[in-house]
Amino acid sequence: MNVVVVGAGFMGTVHAEWYTEMQDVNLLGIVDASAERAESLAKRFGARASLDLGAVLESSRVDIVDVCVPTYLHKDYILQAAAAKAHVIAEKPLALTAQDAKVCIDACEAAGVRLFVGQVVRFFPEYKQIRELVAAGGVGQVGTARALRGGSFPQGWNNWYKDPEKSGSMIVDLMIHDFDFLRWCFGEVERVYAKSLGGGQLSGMDHALVSLRFKSGVIAHVEGTWAQPAGFATEIEIAGSLGMVQHKSSESITVQLQKREADKQSAGVEIPSSPLERSPYYLELAHFLDCIRGKAEPLVTPDDALRALEIGLAAATSARTGGVVELSGPIEGGMSV
Amino acid sequence: MKLGIFSFAHMHAYSYAEVLQQVAGVELAVVADEHEARGQEAAARFGARYVRDYQEALKTDLDAVIVCSENAKHAEMAIAAADAGKHVLCEKPIATSVEDAWRMVNGCEKNGVKLQTAFPIRYSTPVRHVKRQIDGGEIGQILALNGTNRGQNPGGWFVDNTLSGGGAVLDHTVHVIDIMRWYTGSEVREVYAEIGTRFSNTPTDDCGLLTLEFANGVIASHDPSWSRPKTFPTWGDVTLKVVGTQGVVKVDAFAQHSTYYNDQSGRVNYLGWGNNADLQLVAGFIDSIRRDQEPLATGLDGLRAMEVALAAYESARTGKPVRIQSAN
Repeated sequence: MNVVVVGAGFMGTVHAEWYTEMQDVNLLGIVDASAERAESLAKRFGARASLDLGAVLESSRVDIVDVCVPTYLHKDYILQAAAAKAHVIAEKPLALTAQDAKVCIDACEAAGVRLFVGQVVRFFPEYKQIRELVAAGGVGQVGTARALRGGSFPQGWNNWYKDPEKSGSMIVDLMIHDFDFLRWCFGEVERVYAKSLGGGQLSGMDHALVSLRFKSGVIAHVEGTWAQPAGFATEIEIAGSLGMVQHKSSESITVQLQKREADKQSAGVEIPSSPLERSPYYLELAHFLDCIRGKAEPLVTPDDALRALEIGLAAATSARTGGVVELSGPIEGGMSV
Repeated sequence: MKLGIFSFAHMHAYSYAEVLQQVAGVELAVVADEHEARGQEAAARFGARYVRDYQEALKTDLDAVIVCSENAKHAEMAIAAADAGKHVLCEKPIATSVEDAWRMVNGCEKNGVKLQTAFPIRYSTPVRHVKRQIDGGEIGQILALNGTNRGQNPGGWFVDNTLSGGGAVLDHTVHVIDIMRWYTGSEVREVYAEIGTRFSNTPTDDCGLLTLEFANGVIASHDPSWSRPKTFPTWGDVTLKVVGTQGVVKVDAFAQHSTYYNDQSGRVNYLGWGNNADLQLVAGFIDSIRRDQEPLATGLDGLRAMEVALAAYESARTGKPVRIQSAN
């Protein structure tokens, strides 16, 4: 299968690396608005570099377009790919608005191509395990759930994360992972209330506290942060009538490397890691390819991605307006869920 | 100095009676408890005189009383003690209504006696350490707070609304709100809450989530749920994360513990080795009387924290954020 990765940034590089590990996958091209970045990544993997996805789609048979550009650019590339009858893998969030997400979903459906959204948390073994345990009744009736995700402010091309018009803000960009995971565990959300520092206002930080009430009655707290001076961490806890399960990334550091500075005077650095034979990103992409080959049923559907986005948009709306947002009613942009 | 404990309905009374033995120059003279067997047992255990009726104890030369009755009975006992000229240390939540709490605050003020709310977390060494870090500018200006005070359903009168005034949300909101107010120097102006009964068939709520905004713009959330399983290695937790412009500080008030894997009981338990905050609380109360100083956590502090918990119930009832008038 011929794959073209659009976007030679952080996630595009991760995806490109894993494609080259896979059999029956040919990383055909790297598309990026910067010729230098496209060429540098393409050269590393022996792929073709291009500034223009359209040109690549015209000149070669492309099976999959993997969209890893900043969120506000997703739609154009997805529509181009669908028009050329290429399957689409898109990073999360699928789009910045529910309407745009729906346009992407409809376009892929109309073109008869598959659309997969990188809600990668579903492929993290610790989250998958917790979901399976809870689904099997391992903690009884669930009462409360708490999720945390975040660290320092992400550095991206042109500082696009800082611009809510481009990233949708931290609530939509980062916390969507936990919105998707919790919805996967507990079903649909009834209402959302949120407080946020309002990313972009304060230079280089954001922090949000989101309250979710699920139709099932579960109460969830989701905390997202781009306000830490350093590091990155995730936590998840689900408590019920018969038990509780929790995971903290800080407690799963299986390898702790400490390096002395060359001058032997200044403090050394610590490099924690939790290595797995297969990265969740690899598992995610391999699963999407299996779905395209007809060998697997998708673990995450375009509708799931849309719903997670809607929760994120509802939280952002609540944080901005100070009101409670009911997910059964209209949300921002007038779309009814 | 002579103290009395009014009722052992709240289990914290046992801890306070215990630590009183360690405070120099203080005697637990009287245990008053309408529950005779419980009161007599406690009086015998701590070497105090037992009386059934607390009014009788108020006629003696007690200097101060610790009120550990069911929440709904705090006001009556505290006001009677104040009228008899006794200083009062009252278990939290201070009362079950704002009106009762104000009567307590005013009653103690009128009689010139101290009214302290039993907020031991204010005395917790790690929590005070963070207060100093914040006041010293270590994390800049506070922007956001995220707290937890989870525990287990105590059962008994705690789940009888007429005696407790509420379940987990009232029981486990006040400590952390008190610390949030202390750290920010600001009052909660708006509360939104999700509240539920999810962990067992209990007549009160047993879980909830509060989302808050302070008068100075700080945002916060707090989890007061009775959500710790029976197998949890300790009773629960008190944690608070403070996000500031220059840094983030997290305090886990009970993290000073060893982990004990006990084959004899088939359990894993945390064995705390930090400072005993109950001792610090009681010693602080005695000290404020001796020095005639304002207690570290006053009756008004107790009232403000309780007000937030009551607003949380109103929010859950109405489905809307609730403004707290006194902070606006």
